[in-house]
Amino acid sequence: MAETILEIDGLEAGYGDVQVLWDVSLRVEAGAITCIVGSNGAGKTTLLRTISGLIAPRAGSIRLGGAEIGGAAPDAVLGAGVAHVPEGRRLFKGLSVRDNLMLGAYLRQDKAQVARDLDFVMETFPILRERAGQDATTMSGGEQQMCAIGRGIMSAPRLLMIDELSLGLAPRLVETLGEALMEVNRTGLTILLVEQDVMTALDLASQGFVIETGRVTMTGPSTVLAGDARIREAYMGL
Amino acid sequence: MGFAQILANGVVLGTLYACIAIGFSLVWGVLNVINMLHGSFIVLGGYLTYFAWAYTGISPVLILPVVAVLLFGLGYALQYLFINKVVSAPVLTTLTLTFGLDMILYNLMTVFFTATPRRVSMDFGRLEFWGVAMPVDRLIGMGLALLLTALLFVVLRTSRIGRAIVAVRMDREAAALMGIKVNHIYAVTFGIAALMAGAAGSVFAMVFPVTTNLSGVFLGKAFVICVIGGLGGVSGALAGGLALGIIESFAGVLVGPQNAITIGFVLMLVLLIVRPQGLVGVKGYE
Repeated sequence: MAETILEIDGLEAGYGDVQVLWDVSLRVEAGAITCIVGSNGAGKTTLLRTISGLIAPRAGSIRLGGAEIGGAAPDAVLGAGVAHVPEGRRLFKGLSVRDNLMLGAYLRQDKAQVARDLDFVMETFPILRERAGQDATTMSGGEQQMCAIGRGIMSAPRLLMIDELSLGLAPRLVETLGEALMEVNRTGLTILLVEQDVMTALDLASQGFVIETGRVTMTGPSTVLAGDARIREAYMGL
Repeated sequence: MGFAQILANGVVLGTLYACIAIGFSLVWGVLNVINMLHGSFIVLGGYLTYFAWAYTGISPVLILPVVAVLLFGLGYALQYLFINKVVSAPVLTTLTLTFGLDMILYNLMTVFFTATPRRVSMDFGRLEFWGVAMPVDRLIGMGLALLLTALLFVVLRTSRIGRAIVAVRMDREAAALMGIKVNHIYAVTFGIAALMAGAAGSVFAMVFPVTTNLSGVFLGKAFVICVIGGLGGVSGALAGGLALGIIESFAGVLVGPQNAITIGFVLMLVLLIVRPQGLVGVKGYE
């Protein structure tokens, strides 16, 4: 069993009077691609928002490499090494692709390494080099997703969390993005992928968690989950 | 008075106006707060400059940076301690809070400084060129106003803190995910706005008499300039400031100075109807 980078135990979170997450526990293996799947409204985004410190947990713990990060402010969580690529890309309008990418490295002081990482991102997604000076929000959806992922990589994270990689993108683009993610993963970066598109997610990941109405209902190697009759029926329409 | 003279007066006034409005525009655009304190910040900057000059005799040009730093500290503290608590509340809440803070600041100034109009009087004589006569102190004021405006523009464009301010303005949550401390950036933004207001007050006191009663006038001007120019940032304030300065200058000669303010507000109403994003504002910012 490989080393665990992220451990979540008994996590509860929500907004105002509405509790969304109930006793969520999960493990992310270092160096792997792990996915969290589930339908719209299951609490996947809330889980990521709680991990990255945008909302405070009500109970439970979140540990990164053994250190507690639950309830820490977003800048502290990012500083600890968790980058969050938000749903819908959320690129900064009016800023160029390069400026957007560099904002990902906002907390970093190691200028030389930042320059190398920028180069790596542009090698991985060559279109971003071509469009470096263009307003990032004027690109196509797929290009914007590349920029958002690149922006996440620019923080030199230990764990990259991506919310809805495939949302609103053509299947062929999703495939390209998936291949790029595998490539990034091979450099040693751990990836936590959150997806409504169960097939794509289980394809990319080695380990999967299924979330339904705020609870983890199934977990296992993605090949096992992909073969599970209930999953095939509920999410793949097979 | 010749056309060139009226235009030159308008341009000088316009650069001062731009300097007055820039901080107001920044706070409005980034924090979505209508800062009712803005006029009093300007008056405070003017009074501090006057008294420092009157008691020490130091050149107001050297006093200006000190006043600017003091105002930055005041602005940062007010935002961090008070306004940040309600910054995401509806605009009426923050408006009420800054209105209350303004009442306090305004009355404190009236008590400590009295409402007597004060002006730093430096007699540098006047320059004449192309049939335009211009007192040198006004030209110095214009130069300082332009310098401050350019400085802010460069800071916002190129510095790390400038990038962070733009990011927070666009999407505060995504900015937080970049590791930007949003509350700190809000306070820095408010501090910069107060700094620019204080510096504008310094410049103003070198050119025109300043009194506490002007705080409402300054606030009104800042508001009109932002609407005319648009909330697109430094360029909007500069365009709006120059437009208002020139219009008031011409209106003052054509229909009398007592009507110049009315003309400015009428222009604002017209622009709100035909071009709500302002002269150079970007759609979606308003």
